[in-house]
Amino acid sequence: MGNFQSTLIQLWQGFGFTFGIFFFTLIFSIPLGLLVSKGRMSKIKIVSLVFQLYISILRGTPLMLQLLLVYFGPYYIFGVNLGSIQIGPFNYRFIATIIAFSLNYAAYFAEIFRGGIQSMSKGQYEAATVLGFTKMQTYFKIILPQVIKRVLPSVSNEVITLVKDTSLAQVLSVTEMFTKASAAASAQVSVMPFIVAGAFYYAMNLIVETILNRVEKSMSYYS
Amino acid sequence: MADVKNDIVLEMKNIKKSFGDLEVLKGISMEVKRGEVVAVIGPSGGGKSTLLRCATTLETVDYGRIVIGGDVLCDEGKYCDKKLEKEIRSKFGLVFQNFNLFPHFSVRRNITEALIHVHKMSKEEADAICDGLLKKMDLVEKADAYPCNLSGGQQQRVSIARALATNPEIIFFDEPTSALDPELTKGVLTVIKELAKEKMTMVIVTHEMSFARDVADRIIFMSGGVIVEEGNAYDLVTNPQQERTKAFLAGY
Repeated sequence: MGNFQSTLIQLWQGFGFTFGIFFFTLIFSIPLGLLVSKGRMSKIKIVSLVFQLYISILRGTPLMLQLLLVYFGPYYIFGVNLGSIQIGPFNYRFIATIIAFSLNYAAYFAEIFRGGIQSMSKGQYEAATVLGFTKMQTYFKIILPQVIKRVLPSVSNEVITLVKDTSLAQVLSVTEMFTKASAAASAQVSVMPFIVAGAFYYAMNLIVETILNRVEKSMSYYS
Repeated sequence: MADVKNDIVLEMKNIKKSFGDLEVLKGISMEVKRGEVVAVIGPSGGGKSTLLRCATTLETVDYGRIVIGGDVLCDEGKYCDKKLEKEIRSKFGLVFQNFNLFPHFSVRRNITEALIHVHKMSKEEADAICDGLLKKMDLVEKADAYPCNLSGGQQQRVSIARALATNPEIIFFDEPTSALDPELTKGVLTVIKELAKEKMTMVIVTHEMSFARDVADRIIFMSGGVIVEEGNAYDLVTNPQQERTKAFLAGY
């Protein structure tokens, strides 16, 4: 039983980083995704192509590879050593993780947002125009609220995937939950830490799911 | 209204518009006087809706002159600045075929949102205008409902109220009953007839011939991007002069 308790404590210590990766990735990747979707829909062909390429590469290569590239790239390609960077409690391993995750998830979010924005009927823009709303008012009052409702199920998918993907930070030895679980498992020669980690991820996703369901319900007053 | 110029609410002169190689409007000219109701009829693809969309700034013309409420929107195809364009937009209302209400706003907010955020009225002023319009549209009890809970006819009446809210000089209707079944159509047409009685200036693109005949002062028959025939509503429907008009009306 001592093993079990110490496993719980170790995993809980790793949970901070897991939650940090999750939280910061969402904070950065959603606005970034909105920008990327705007760029992807740009009428200027070259801009649209650049963002199309961005999305294609970020979605078409492994996130694990992107993590390694963001972390080791600056040193091996440019000879810049960022390893000593520290922002508050966050070292460069963690910062690189957030950068890679945000860039990667922004690509997915961008395509989800694009789908939502393009599914809006032209009539909504036209009604807003004729009524005299500015472009900004039209976007923030009329379009965006409806887009959020439409994309929420797809966004929920990504958010839930993100909870599990945080475990990929293990390749950069970020001491998040999965890294801790692997260490505990090999120390104890037991799969128990993995099962406990699985329970942690599932519990976190149950909470995420509950919250997202509530948000979805709060927007179900219209169709 | 001594000034005759002021009595013309809408002037469109020699309007030309093409989509690619397709010339949709081939030099249309029309005028609408204050208090006049003009119906625009004609086959699909004849340019009716495009003409309406040009008048309401949703499309830009290639050539021609548009004057609304005394303000020149464009002349020889050259448009006024954005500031005046915005001002001109507050002089007309547009009612769409498929309503285009904002689904996430209540009926009340659909009507008051532009009053508050575009015309900078207080919420109280906007609500008062909204209440008056809902009463007129027989929708008082629907103020807090959302569009998805209304019938098509009710939705269209809300969108008419929304168009009326800014007290425009002219209202355009783009096939206002085409998305409605005959029963719901009735209610909407009744409302438009009421507005005609109150001398609201209106341009109505419609396929309802008997309605056009009864409510309009004048009918314009458009086909192939030109005005084929226009005249007194009753005469045009009962005694068309042009072969093309006769053939079209024979279908009704």
